[in-house]
Amino acid sequence: MSTTAPVPPTAGTPGVTLDLSKSGPTPFGRLVAVEWRKMIDTRSGIWLLSITGGLLALVMVIIVLVVGLNDFQVDAAGLSQGFTLPISLLLPVFGILIVTSEWSQRTALASFTLEPHRARVLGAKLVAVSALAVATILVALVLGALTNVLCAAVTGNPLEWNLDASELVWTIISQLAFFLMGYALACLLLNTPGAIAVYYVIALLLPIMLWSTLYAIFDWAKDVLPWIDINTALTPLMTGSDLVGEPVDVDVVNYLQAGWTVVLWVGLPVALGLWRILRAEVK
Amino acid sequence: MITVDRLTVSYGGFTAVDDVSFVAQPGRVTGFLGPNGAGKSTTMRVMVGLTPPTSGQVTIGGLHYHDIPNPGRHVGSLLDASAQHAGRTGREILTIGAMTMGLPKSRVDEMLALVGLTDDEAGRRLRNYSLGMKQRLGIAHALLGDPSVLILDEPANGLDPAGIRWMRGLLKGYADRGGTVLLSSHLLHEVEQIADEMILIGHGRIVAQGDKKTLLASAAGAATTLVTSLDNAGLASALTRAGHSVEPMGEGLKVLASTEEVGRVSLAAGVVLTDLRSGGAGLEDLFLELTSATAREAVPGVGVPTTGGVPA
Repeated sequence: MSTTAPVPPTAGTPGVTLDLSKSGPTPFGRLVAVEWRKMIDTRSGIWLLSITGGLLALVMVIIVLVVGLNDFQVDAAGLSQGFTLPISLLLPVFGILIVTSEWSQRTALASFTLEPHRARVLGAKLVAVSALAVATILVALVLGALTNVLCAAVTGNPLEWNLDASELVWTIISQLAFFLMGYALACLLLNTPGAIAVYYVIALLLPIMLWSTLYAIFDWAKDVLPWIDINTALTPLMTGSDLVGEPVDVDVVNYLQAGWTVVLWVGLPVALGLWRILRAEVK
Repeated sequence: MITVDRLTVSYGGFTAVDDVSFVAQPGRVTGFLGPNGAGKSTTMRVMVGLTPPTSGQVTIGGLHYHDIPNPGRHVGSLLDASAQHAGRTGREILTIGAMTMGLPKSRVDEMLALVGLTDDEAGRRLRNYSLGMKQRLGIAHALLGDPSVLILDEPANGLDPAGIRWMRGLLKGYADRGGTVLLSSHLLHEVEQIADEMILIGHGRIVAQGDKKTLLASAAGAATTLVTSLDNAGLASALTRAGHSVEPMGEGLKVLASTEEVGRVSLAAGVVLTDLRSGGAGLEDLFLELTSATAREAVPGVGVPTTGGVPA
Protein backbone atom coordinates (compact mmCIF):
# COMPACT_ATOMS: atom_id res chain seq x y z
CA MET A 1 0.00 0.00 0.00
CA SER A 2 1.42 3.37 -0.87
CA THR A 3 0.22 6.92 -0.68
CA THR A 4 -2.17 8.03 -3.34
CA ALA A 5 -0.62 9.90 -6.16
CA PRO A 6 -2.39 13.20 -6.73
CA VAL A 7 -4.56 13.62 -9.77
CA PRO A 8 -2.20 14.51 -12.58
CA PRO A 9 -2.88 17.73 -14.44
CA THR A 10 -5.35 17.16 -17.22
CA ALA A 11 -3.45 15.88 -20.20
CA GLY A 12 -3.45 18.06 -23.27
CA THR A 13 -3.88 21.37 -21.46
CA PRO A 14 -0.36 22.27 -20.48
CA GLY A 15 -0.90 25.92 -21.43
CA VAL A 16 -1.78 28.93 -19.38
CA THR A 17 -4.97 28.51 -17.37
CA LEU A 18 -5.11 32.03 -15.94
CA ASP A 19 -7.42 34.54 -17.57
CA LEU A 20 -4.69 37.04 -18.40
CA SER A 21 -7.09 39.32 -20.27
CA LYS A 22 -8.22 40.92 -17.04
CA SER A 23 -4.92 42.58 -16.25
CA GLY A 24 -2.17 44.29 -18.17
CA PRO A 25 1.25 44.78 -16.68
CA THR A 26 1.43 47.29 -13.86
CA PRO A 27 2.38 50.70 -15.32
CA PHE A 28 5.49 52.29 -13.79
CA GLY A 29 3.66 55.56 -13.09
CA ARG A 30 1.23 53.70 -10.86
CA LEU A 31 4.11 52.24 -8.86
CA VAL A 32 5.56 55.73 -8.43
CA ALA A 33 2.20 57.04 -7.18
CA VAL A 34 2.02 54.14 -4.72
CA GLU A 35 5.55 54.77 -3.44
CA TRP A 36 4.82 58.48 -3.08
CA ARG A 37 1.79 57.66 -0.97
CA LYS A 38 3.71 55.17 1.15
CA MET A 39 6.32 57.83 1.83
CA ILE A 40 3.91 60.29 3.40
CA ASP A 41 1.06 58.18 4.83
CA THR A 42 2.78 57.11 8.05
CA ARG A 43 3.38 59.02 11.26
CA SER A 44 7.11 59.23 10.63
CA GLY A 45 6.41 60.77 7.23
CA ILE A 46 3.91 63.25 8.63
CA TRP A 47 6.26 64.21 11.47
CA LEU A 48 9.26 64.69 9.22
CA LEU A 49 7.23 66.96 6.95
CA SER A 50 5.69 68.89 9.85
CA ILE A 51 9.01 69.44 11.61
CA THR A 52 10.62 70.58 8.38
CA GLY A 53 7.67 72.88 7.75
CA GLY A 54 8.10 74.24 11.27
CA LEU A 55 11.82 74.80 10.74
CA LEU A 56 11.14 76.64 7.48
CA ALA A 57 8.59 78.88 9.19
CA LEU A 58 11.06 79.50 12.02
CA VAL A 59 13.83 80.45 9.58
CA MET A 60 11.43 82.82 7.86
CA VAL A 61 10.36 84.51 11.09
CA ILE A 62 13.93 84.84 12.37
CA ILE A 63 15.22 86.30 9.12
CA VAL A 64 12.41 88.84 8.86
CA LEU A 65 12.86 89.79 12.54
CA VAL A 66 16.64 90.14 12.36
CA VAL A 67 16.51 92.00 9.10
CA GLY A 68 13.74 94.26 10.33
CA LEU A 69 15.45 95.07 13.63
CA ASN A 70 18.94 95.61 12.23
CA ASP A 71 18.04 96.98 8.85
CA PHE A 72 20.21 94.40 7.07
CA GLN A 73 20.29 94.06 3.35
CA VAL A 74 19.33 90.52 2.21
CA ASP A 75 19.37 89.02 -1.25
CA ALA A 76 17.77 86.06 -2.93
CA ALA A 77 21.01 84.05 -3.15
CA GLY A 78 21.63 84.20 0.58
CA LEU A 79 18.02 83.42 1.35
CA SER A 80 17.88 80.37 -0.91
CA GLN A 81 20.80 78.93 1.02
CA GLY A 82 19.14 79.72 4.31
CA PHE A 83 15.99 77.91 3.28
CA THR A 84 17.53 74.84 1.73
CA LEU A 85 19.37 74.10 4.98
CA PRO A 86 16.30 72.94 6.98
CA ILE A 87 15.31 70.77 4.04
CA SER A 88 18.66 69.07 3.73
CA LEU A 89 18.67 68.45 7.47
CA LEU A 90 15.74 66.07 7.90
CA LEU A 91 14.14 65.25 4.58
CA PRO A 92 16.82 62.88 3.24
CA VAL A 93 15.51 60.52 5.92
CA PHE A 94 12.55 60.01 3.54
CA GLY A 95 14.96 58.56 1.03
CA ILE A 96 16.18 56.16 3.70
CA LEU A 97 12.82 55.16 5.19
CA ILE A 98 11.20 54.51 1.82
CA VAL A 99 13.65 51.63 1.40
CA THR A 100 14.45 50.41 4.90
CA SER A 101 10.87 50.44 6.22
CA GLU A 102 10.04 47.74 3.68
CA TRP A 103 12.42 45.55 5.67
CA SER A 104 11.85 46.77 9.21
CA GLN A 105 8.06 46.72 8.79
CA ARG A 106 8.25 43.68 6.50
CA THR A 107 6.02 45.33 3.91
CA ALA A 108 8.45 44.03 1.26
CA LEU A 109 6.40 40.84 1.39
CA ALA A 110 3.35 42.64 0.01
CA SER A 111 5.29 45.03 -2.25
CA PHE A 112 7.33 42.34 -3.98
CA THR A 113 4.36 39.99 -4.20
CA LEU A 114 2.26 42.59 -6.02
CA GLU A 115 5.22 43.60 -8.22
CA PRO A 116 7.68 40.69 -8.41
CA HIS A 117 10.06 42.70 -10.58
CA ARG A 118 11.85 44.20 -7.61
CA ALA A 119 13.99 46.58 -9.65
CA ARG A 120 10.79 48.32 -10.81
CA VAL A 121 9.69 48.84 -7.21
CA LEU A 122 13.07 50.30 -6.31
CA GLY A 123 13.04 52.45 -9.44
CA ALA A 124 9.62 53.78 -8.46
CA LYS A 125 11.00 54.62 -5.01
CA LEU A 126 13.93 56.47 -6.62
CA VAL A 127 11.57 58.56 -8.73
CA ALA A 128 9.30 59.29 -5.74
CA VAL A 129 12.25 60.38 -3.58
CA SER A 130 13.65 62.57 -6.36
CA ALA A 131 10.24 64.17 -6.86
CA LEU A 132 10.03 64.89 -3.14
CA ALA A 133 13.51 66.44 -3.16
CA VAL A 134 12.68 68.74 -6.06
CA ALA A 135 9.25 69.62 -4.67
CA THR A 136 10.67 70.60 -1.27
CA ILE A 137 13.39 72.74 -2.87
CA LEU A 138 10.72 74.56 -4.85
CA VAL A 139 8.77 75.16 -1.64
CA ALA A 140 11.94 76.51 -0.02
CA LEU A 141 12.56 78.83 -2.96
CA VAL A 142 9.02 80.17 -2.85
CA LEU A 143 9.36 80.80 0.88
CA GLY A 144 12.74 82.43 0.25
CA ALA A 145 11.23 84.74 -2.34
CA LEU A 146 8.38 85.58 0.01
CA THR A 147 10.86 86.38 2.76
CA ASN A 148 12.81 88.56 0.36
CA VAL A 149 9.68 90.56 -0.39
CA LEU A 150 8.77 90.78 3.30
CA CYS A 151 12.26 91.96 4.25
CA ALA A 152 12.20 94.64 1.58
CA ALA A 153 8.82 95.76 2.80
CA VAL A 154 9.97 95.85 6.44
CA THR A 155 13.25 97.67 5.82
CA GLY A 156 12.33 99.72 2.79
CA ASN A 157 15.49 98.48 1.03
CA PRO A 158 15.28 97.73 -2.67
CA LEU A 159 14.47 94.15 -3.66
CA GLU A 160 17.49 92.15 -4.74
CA TRP A 161 16.84 89.18 -7.10
CA ASN A 162 20.37 88.02 -7.72
CA LEU A 163 19.82 84.26 -7.84
CA ASP A 164 21.18 83.12 -11.17
CA ALA A 165 20.04 80.05 -13.01
CA SER A 166 23.23 78.00 -12.70
CA GLU A 167 23.31 78.55 -8.94
CA LEU A 168 19.70 77.40 -8.74
CA VAL A 169 20.36 74.30 -10.81
CA TRP A 170 23.39 73.34 -8.71
CA THR A 171 21.43 73.86 -5.52
CA ILE A 172 18.81 71.44 -6.80
CA ILE A 173 21.48 68.98 -7.93
CA SER A 174 23.23 69.02 -4.59
CA GLN A 175 19.95 68.54 -2.67
CA LEU A 176 19.09 65.68 -4.97
CA ALA A 177 22.54 64.17 -4.46
CA PHE A 178 22.04 64.10 -0.69
CA PHE A 179 18.52 62.65 -0.95
CA LEU A 180 19.82 59.96 -3.25
CA MET A 181 22.80 59.26 -1.02
CA GLY A 182 20.32 58.49 1.75
CA TYR A 183 18.41 56.24 -0.61
CA ALA A 184 21.63 54.54 -1.75
CA LEU A 185 22.92 53.86 1.75
CA ALA A 186 19.48 52.50 2.65
CA CYS A 187 19.58 50.09 -0.31
CA LEU A 188 23.00 48.93 0.77
CA LEU A 189 22.30 48.52 4.50
CA LEU A 190 18.54 47.71 4.53
CA ASN A 191 18.45 48.83 8.12
CA THR A 192 16.87 52.07 9.33
CA PRO A 193 19.08 53.06 12.28
CA GLY A 194 22.22 51.95 10.49
CA ALA A 195 21.45 53.86 7.31
CA ILE A 196 20.41 57.02 9.17
CA ALA A 197 23.54 56.95 11.34
CA VAL A 198 25.90 56.36 8.41
CA TYR A 199 24.12 59.02 6.38
CA TYR A 200 24.46 61.72 9.03
CA VAL A 201 28.08 60.86 9.73
CA ILE A 202 28.98 61.11 6.04
CA ALA A 203 26.69 63.95 5.01
CA LEU A 204 26.79 66.16 8.08
CA LEU A 205 29.20 65.19 10.85
CA LEU A 206 32.39 64.53 8.88
CA PRO A 207 32.06 67.63 6.65
CA ILE A 208 31.47 69.92 9.62
CA MET A 209 33.84 68.40 12.16
CA LEU A 210 36.65 66.96 10.06
CA TRP A 211 36.71 67.86 6.38
CA SER A 212 36.37 71.63 6.78
CA THR A 213 39.15 71.68 9.39
CA LEU A 214 41.47 69.52 7.33
CA TYR A 215 40.63 71.57 4.25
CA ALA A 216 41.49 74.81 6.00
CA ILE A 217 44.78 73.54 7.44
CA PHE A 218 46.38 71.10 5.01
CA ASP A 219 47.19 71.59 1.35
CA TRP A 220 46.88 67.90 0.57
CA ALA A 221 43.31 67.98 1.88
CA LYS A 222 42.46 70.56 -0.80
CA ASP A 223 43.53 67.99 -3.42
CA VAL A 224 42.11 64.87 -1.84
CA LEU A 225 38.83 65.85 -0.18
CA PRO A 226 37.00 66.97 -3.33
CA TRP A 227 37.43 63.41 -4.58
CA ILE A 228 35.94 61.93 -1.41
CA ASP A 229 33.24 64.23 -0.12
CA ILE A 230 30.16 65.23 -2.13
CA ASN A 231 29.78 68.50 -0.29
CA THR A 232 33.42 69.57 -0.85
CA ALA A 233 33.11 68.63 -4.51
CA LEU A 234 29.81 70.43 -5.10
CA THR A 235 30.43 73.63 -3.14
CA PRO A 236 32.53 75.34 -5.85
CA LEU A 237 29.84 74.56 -8.45
CA MET A 238 27.06 75.89 -6.22
CA THR A 239 28.72 79.03 -4.89
CA GLY A 240 31.79 79.72 -7.01
CA SER A 241 34.03 79.41 -3.97
CA ASP A 242 35.46 76.49 -2.00
CA LEU A 243 34.76 75.18 1.50
CA VAL A 244 36.67 77.97 3.23
CA GLY A 245 35.16 80.66 1.03
CA GLU A 246 38.05 81.25 -1.36
CA PRO A 247 36.93 81.87 -4.94
CA VAL A 248 37.44 78.99 -7.33
CA ASP A 249 37.80 79.08 -11.09
CA VAL A 250 35.37 76.35 -11.95
CA ASP A 251 37.18 73.94 -14.21
CA VAL A 252 36.48 70.61 -15.82
CA VAL A 253 38.12 68.91 -12.84
CA ASN A 254 35.39 70.30 -10.58
CA TYR A 255 32.77 68.61 -12.71
CA LEU A 256 34.77 65.41 -12.64
CA GLN A 257 35.00 65.56 -8.86
CA ALA A 258 31.27 66.23 -8.54
CA GLY A 259 30.47 63.34 -10.86
CA TRP A 260 32.87 60.95 -9.16
CA THR A 261 31.67 61.66 -5.62
CA VAL A 262 28.09 61.07 -6.74
CA VAL A 263 29.16 57.76 -8.27
CA LEU A 264 31.00 56.91 -5.06
CA TRP A 265 28.16 57.71 -2.63
CA VAL A 266 25.08 57.12 -4.79
CA GLY A 267 25.94 54.90 -7.75
CA LEU A 268 28.11 52.38 -5.98
CA PRO A 269 25.88 51.74 -2.94
CA VAL A 270 22.78 51.57 -5.17
CA ALA A 271 24.45 49.02 -7.42
CA LEU A 272 25.60 46.86 -4.53
CA GLY A 273 22.28 47.25 -2.73
CA LEU A 274 20.25 46.39 -5.80
CA TRP A 275 22.39 43.32 -6.38
CA ARG A 276 21.62 42.27 -2.83
CA ILE A 277 17.89 43.08 -2.92
CA LEU A 278 17.26 41.28 -6.20
CA ARG A 279 18.73 38.10 -4.74
CA ALA A 280 17.45 38.40 -1.20
CA GLU A 281 14.93 36.03 0.24
CA VAL A 282 12.04 38.11 1.52
CA LYS A 283 10.57 36.82 4.76
CA MET B 1 -3.90 25.51 -10.61
CA ILE B 2 -0.66 25.46 -8.67
CA THR B 3 1.97 22.99 -9.82
CA VAL B 4 4.94 22.35 -7.60
CA ASP B 5 7.53 20.39 -9.51
CA ARG B 6 10.45 18.70 -7.72
CA LEU B 7 11.02 21.78 -5.58
CA THR B 8 14.11 21.89 -3.39
CA VAL B 9 15.24 24.79 -1.23
CA SER B 10 18.50 24.50 0.67
CA TYR B 11 20.25 26.88 3.01
CA GLY B 12 23.86 25.83 3.10
CA GLY B 13 23.78 22.28 4.38
CA PHE B 14 20.18 22.45 5.59
CA THR B 15 17.44 21.38 3.21
CA ALA B 16 14.19 23.14 4.12
CA VAL B 17 12.20 21.76 1.19
CA ASP B 18 13.33 18.47 -0.27
CA ASP B 19 12.14 17.40 -3.71
CA VAL B 20 8.51 18.36 -3.17
CA SER B 21 5.95 17.87 -5.94
CA PHE B 22 2.21 18.31 -5.81
CA VAL B 23 -0.67 19.93 -7.63
CA ALA B 24 -3.40 22.11 -6.17
CA GLN B 25 -6.41 21.77 -8.46
CA PRO B 26 -8.99 24.42 -9.34
CA GLY B 27 -12.34 23.96 -7.65
CA ARG B 28 -10.73 22.27 -4.67
CA VAL B 29 -9.38 23.30 -1.32
CA THR B 30 -5.95 21.79 -0.84
CA GLY B 31 -4.69 21.58 2.72
CA PHE B 32 -0.97 21.82 3.28
CA LEU B 33 -0.27 20.19 6.62
CA GLY B 34 2.84 19.84 8.64
CA PRO B 35 4.38 20.73 11.97
CA ASN B 36 6.24 23.98 12.48
CA GLY B 37 9.42 24.12 10.43
CA ALA B 38 8.31 21.41 8.01
CA GLY B 39 8.84 23.64 4.98
CA LYS B 40 5.27 24.82 4.33
CA SER B 41 5.99 28.54 4.46
CA THR B 42 9.17 28.21 2.43
CA THR B 43 7.26 26.33 -0.29
CA MET B 44 4.58 29.04 -0.30
CA ARG B 45 7.15 31.83 -0.48
CA VAL B 46 8.69 30.15 -3.54
CA MET B 47 5.22 30.10 -5.14
CA VAL B 48 4.98 33.90 -5.09
CA GLY B 49 8.61 34.53 -5.95
CA LEU B 50 9.82 35.72 -2.57
CA THR B 51 12.26 32.85 -2.07
CA PRO B 52 14.43 31.60 -4.90
CA PRO B 53 14.29 27.82 -5.33
CA THR B 54 17.53 25.86 -5.23
CA SER B 55 16.14 23.51 -7.85
CA GLY B 56 12.77 22.62 -9.26
CA GLN B 57 10.02 25.10 -9.96
CA VAL B 58 6.51 26.24 -9.21
CA THR B 59 4.03 27.37 -11.82
CA ILE B 60 0.64 28.92 -11.31
CA GLY B 61 -1.79 28.38 -14.14
CA GLY B 62 1.18 27.37 -16.28
CA LEU B 63 3.23 30.51 -15.60
CA HIS B 64 6.07 31.37 -13.29
CA TYR B 65 4.87 33.94 -10.78
CA HIS B 66 7.09 36.74 -12.10
CA ASP B 67 5.71 36.22 -15.61
CA ILE B 68 2.14 36.88 -14.51
CA PRO B 69 1.22 40.47 -15.39
CA ASN B 70 -0.13 42.32 -12.34
CA PRO B 71 -0.03 39.07 -10.34
CA GLY B 72 -2.23 40.37 -7.52
CA ARG B 73 -5.19 40.14 -9.91
CA HIS B 74 -4.63 36.41 -10.37
CA VAL B 75 -2.99 35.10 -7.22
CA GLY B 76 -4.06 36.28 -3.80
CA SER B 77 -1.62 35.49 -1.05
CA LEU B 78 -1.49 35.82 2.69
CA LEU B 79 1.89 34.71 3.97
CA ASP B 80 2.14 36.66 7.21
CA ALA B 81 -0.67 38.84 8.47
CA SER B 82 1.75 40.82 10.64
CA ALA B 83 3.97 41.77 7.72
CA GLN B 84 2.36 45.16 7.18
CA HIS B 85 3.39 48.61 8.37
CA ALA B 86 2.35 48.88 12.03
CA GLY B 87 1.68 52.60 11.62
CA ARG B 88 -0.80 52.28 8.76
CA THR B 89 -4.51 51.85 9.27
CA GLY B 90 -6.20 48.74 7.92
CA ARG B 91 -7.97 50.84 5.33
CA GLU B 92 -4.71 52.45 4.22
CA ILE B 93 -3.03 49.05 3.82
CA LEU B 94 -5.84 47.87 1.57
CA THR B 95 -5.86 51.18 -0.29
CA ILE B 96 -2.17 50.81 -1.14
CA GLY B 97 -2.81 47.27 -2.35
CA ALA B 98 -5.78 48.40 -4.46
CA MET B 99 -3.74 51.28 -5.92
CA THR B 100 -0.88 48.97 -6.88
CA MET B 101 -3.28 46.61 -8.63
CA GLY B 102 -5.13 49.47 -10.31
CA LEU B 103 -8.43 48.78 -8.58
CA PRO B 104 -11.09 51.35 -7.65
CA LYS B 105 -11.24 52.53 -4.02
CA SER B 106 -14.71 51.01 -3.71
CA ARG B 107 -13.03 47.59 -3.76
CA VAL B 108 -11.44 48.41 -0.39
CA ASP B 109 -14.86 48.96 1.23
CA GLU B 110 -16.22 45.79 -0.34
CA MET B 111 -13.37 43.73 1.09
CA LEU B 112 -13.62 45.34 4.53
CA ALA B 113 -17.30 44.44 4.58
CA LEU B 114 -16.58 40.92 3.35
CA VAL B 115 -14.15 40.13 6.15
CA GLY B 116 -16.27 41.89 8.75
CA LEU B 117 -14.01 44.77 9.74
CA THR B 118 -16.06 47.79 10.82
CA ASP B 119 -15.30 51.36 9.76
CA ASP B 120 -13.97 52.02 13.23
CA GLU B 121 -11.64 49.02 13.11
CA ALA B 122 -10.50 49.84 9.58
CA GLY B 123 -9.47 53.27 10.84
CA ARG B 124 -7.22 51.87 13.55
CA ARG B 125 -3.51 51.40 13.06
CA LEU B 126 -2.28 47.87 12.56
CA ARG B 127 -0.26 47.90 15.79
CA ASN B 128 -3.59 48.09 17.66
CA TYR B 129 -5.01 45.08 15.85
CA SER B 130 -5.49 41.71 17.48
CA LEU B 131 -4.05 38.72 15.64
CA GLY B 132 -7.55 37.75 14.51
CA MET B 133 -8.15 41.22 13.06
CA LYS B 134 -4.81 41.09 11.27
CA GLN B 135 -5.80 37.74 9.75
CA ARG B 136 -9.10 39.17 8.52
CA LEU B 137 -7.27 42.14 7.04
CA GLY B 138 -4.76 39.79 5.43
CA ILE B 139 -7.55 37.73 3.89
CA ALA B 140 -9.15 40.95 2.61
CA HIS B 141 -5.78 41.91 1.10
CA ALA B 142 -5.47 38.51 -0.58
CA LEU B 143 -8.98 38.78 -2.06
CA LEU B 144 -8.64 42.41 -3.24
CA GLY B 145 -7.71 41.61 -6.82
CA ASP B 146 -10.48 39.00 -7.22
CA PRO B 147 -7.83 36.32 -7.90
CA SER B 148 -8.50 32.82 -9.18
CA VAL B 149 -5.80 31.29 -6.99
CA LEU B 150 -5.46 31.74 -3.23
CA ILE B 151 -2.32 30.92 -1.24
CA LEU B 152 -2.87 31.26 2.50
CA ASP B 153 -0.26 30.46 5.13
CA GLU B 154 -1.88 29.57 8.47
CA PRO B 155 -4.93 31.78 7.82
CA ALA B 156 -6.87 30.43 10.79
CA ASN B 157 -4.13 31.43 13.20
CA GLY B 158 -5.61 33.74 15.81
CA LEU B 159 -9.18 33.54 14.54
CA ASP B 160 -11.85 32.72 17.11
CA PRO B 161 -14.07 29.67 16.52
CA ALA B 162 -16.70 31.80 14.81
CA GLY B 163 -13.98 33.33 12.66
CA ILE B 164 -12.66 29.91 11.69
CA ARG B 165 -16.13 28.78 10.70
CA TRP B 166 -16.60 31.97 8.69
CA MET B 167 -13.30 31.43 6.88
CA ARG B 168 -14.16 27.81 6.16
CA GLY B 169 -17.39 28.91 4.48
CA LEU B 170 -15.59 31.65 2.57
CA LEU B 171 -12.91 29.34 1.16
CA LYS B 172 -15.35 26.55 0.42
CA GLY B 173 -17.54 28.94 -1.57
CA TYR B 174 -14.46 30.26 -3.30
CA ALA B 175 -13.41 26.77 -4.42
CA ASP B 176 -16.98 25.89 -5.42
CA ARG B 177 -16.89 28.83 -7.82
CA GLY B 178 -13.83 27.30 -9.46
CA GLY B 179 -11.04 28.93 -7.52
CA THR B 180 -7.86 27.16 -6.45
CA VAL B 181 -7.26 27.32 -2.71
CA LEU B 182 -4.08 26.21 -0.99
CA LEU B 183 -3.99 26.72 2.74
CA SER B 184 -1.43 25.59 5.23
CA SER B 185 -1.84 24.69 8.85
CA HIS B 186 -0.09 22.82 11.60
CA LEU B 187 -3.46 22.00 13.13
CA LEU B 188 -5.16 19.04 11.52
CA HIS B 189 -8.70 19.72 12.68
CA GLU B 190 -8.62 23.15 11.04
CA VAL B 191 -7.96 21.58 7.70
CA GLU B 192 -9.69 18.21 7.67
CA GLN B 193 -13.18 19.70 7.63
CA ILE B 194 -12.55 21.97 4.70
CA ALA B 195 -9.82 20.42 2.56
CA ASP B 196 -10.77 18.21 -0.38
CA GLU B 197 -7.19 17.15 -0.72
CA MET B 198 -4.41 17.07 1.84
CA ILE B 199 -0.67 17.25 1.49
CA LEU B 200 1.22 16.13 4.58
CA ILE B 201 4.76 17.43 4.84
CA GLY B 202 7.42 16.75 7.44
CA HIS B 203 11.10 17.67 7.44
CA GLY B 204 10.80 19.20 4.00
CA ARG B 205 9.42 16.06 2.36
CA ILE B 206 5.90 15.07 1.43
CA VAL B 207 5.00 12.09 3.58
CA ALA B 208 1.48 11.49 2.33
CA GLN B 209 -1.13 13.07 0.12
CA GLY B 210 -4.66 12.36 -0.93
CA ASP B 211 -8.20 12.95 0.29
CA LYS B 212 -9.20 12.12 3.83
CA LYS B 213 -10.60 8.67 3.04
CA THR B 214 -7.53 7.55 1.14
CA LEU B 215 -5.22 8.79 3.83
CA LEU B 216 -7.17 6.93 6.50
CA ALA B 217 -7.25 3.78 4.42
CA SER B 218 -3.51 3.95 3.98
CA ALA B 219 -3.17 3.87 7.73
CA ALA B 220 -5.60 0.96 8.21
CA GLY B 221 -2.80 -1.32 9.32
CA ALA B 222 -2.74 0.56 12.56
CA ALA B 223 -6.53 0.32 13.11
CA THR B 224 -7.78 0.15 16.68
CA THR B 225 -11.17 -0.34 18.26
CA LEU B 226 -12.65 1.24 21.36
CA VAL B 227 -15.05 -1.04 23.17
CA THR B 228 -17.06 -0.89 26.38
CA SER B 229 -19.04 -3.82 27.75
CA LEU B 230 -20.87 -5.01 30.85
CA ASP B 231 -17.91 -7.28 31.61
CA ASN B 232 -14.72 -5.57 30.53
CA ALA B 233 -12.45 -7.98 32.39
CA GLY B 234 -14.09 -11.02 30.78
CA LEU B 235 -13.96 -9.44 27.34
CA ALA B 236 -10.32 -8.45 27.80
CA SER B 237 -9.25 -11.99 28.60
CA ALA B 238 -11.31 -13.33 25.68
CA LEU B 239 -9.67 -10.85 23.34
CA THR B 240 -6.22 -11.64 24.68
CA ARG B 241 -6.88 -15.37 24.17
CA ALA B 242 -7.89 -14.52 20.59
CA GLY B 243 -4.48 -12.96 20.08
CA HIS B 244 -5.35 -9.27 20.23
CA SER B 245 -3.46 -6.70 22.21
CA VAL B 246 -5.73 -5.06 24.79
CA GLU B 247 -5.28 -2.13 27.11
CA PRO B 248 -7.76 -0.36 29.36
CA MET B 249 -8.82 3.04 28.19
CA GLY B 250 -11.30 5.25 30.03
CA GLU B 251 -14.31 3.16 30.98
CA GLY B 252 -13.59 0.58 28.31
CA LEU B 253 -10.83 -1.10 26.36
CA LYS B 254 -8.62 -0.21 23.46
CA VAL B 255 -8.01 -3.16 21.19
CA LEU B 256 -5.59 -3.49 18.31
CA ALA B 257 -8.13 -5.07 15.98
CA SER B 258 -10.99 -4.11 13.73
CA THR B 259 -14.48 -3.52 15.13
CA GLU B 260 -15.69 -6.65 13.35
CA GLU B 261 -13.10 -8.87 15.04
CA VAL B 262 -13.91 -7.44 18.48
CA GLY B 263 -17.64 -7.94 17.83
CA ARG B 264 -17.10 -11.60 16.94
CA VAL B 265 -14.98 -12.25 20.03
CA SER B 266 -17.56 -10.69 22.31
CA LEU B 267 -20.36 -12.66 20.62
CA ALA B 268 -18.43 -15.88 21.17
CA ALA B 269 -17.66 -14.93 24.77
CA GLY B 270 -21.28 -13.89 25.39
CA VAL B 271 -20.35 -10.43 26.66
CA VAL B 272 -22.90 -7.63 26.15
CA LEU B 273 -21.36 -4.60 24.40
CA THR B 274 -22.54 -1.12 25.32
CA ASP B 275 -20.24 0.77 23.00
CA LEU B 276 -18.23 -0.35 19.99
CA ARG B 277 -16.50 2.04 17.63
CA SER B 278 -13.47 2.43 15.46
CA GLY B 279 -10.73 4.27 17.24
CA GLY B 280 -8.69 3.55 14.18
CA ALA B 281 -5.68 5.64 13.58
CA GLY B 282 -7.45 8.95 13.31
CA LEU B 283 -5.98 11.47 10.98
CA GLU B 284 -4.47 13.09 14.03
CA ASP B 285 -2.47 9.97 14.90
CA LEU B 286 -1.52 9.47 11.32
CA PHE B 287 -0.43 13.07 11.05
CA LEU B 288 1.69 12.88 14.18
CA GLU B 289 3.25 9.60 13.19
CA LEU B 290 3.99 10.69 9.66
CA THR B 291 5.54 13.95 10.59
CA SER B 292 7.71 12.88 13.50
CA ALA B 293 11.12 11.82 12.34
CA THR B 294 11.46 8.64 14.35
CA ALA B 295 7.93 7.33 13.92
CA ARG B 296 7.79 7.99 10.22
CA GLU B 297 9.72 4.93 9.24
CA ALA B 298 7.70 2.83 11.68
CA VAL B 299 4.28 3.43 10.17
CA PRO B 300 3.48 0.34 8.16
CA GLY B 301 2.03 0.80 4.76
CA VAL B 302 2.81 4.44 4.32
CA GLY B 303 5.80 4.81 2.11
CA VAL B 304 7.70 7.98 1.67
CA PRO B 305 7.40 8.90 -1.98
CA THR B 306 10.82 9.27 -3.46
CA THR B 307 9.92 11.24 -6.52
CA GLY B 308 6.65 12.78 -5.44
CA GLY B 309 4.89 10.96 -8.23
CA VAL B 310 3.57 14.05 -9.94
CA PRO B 311 4.02 14.34 -13.67
CA ALA B 312 5.66 17.65 -14.45
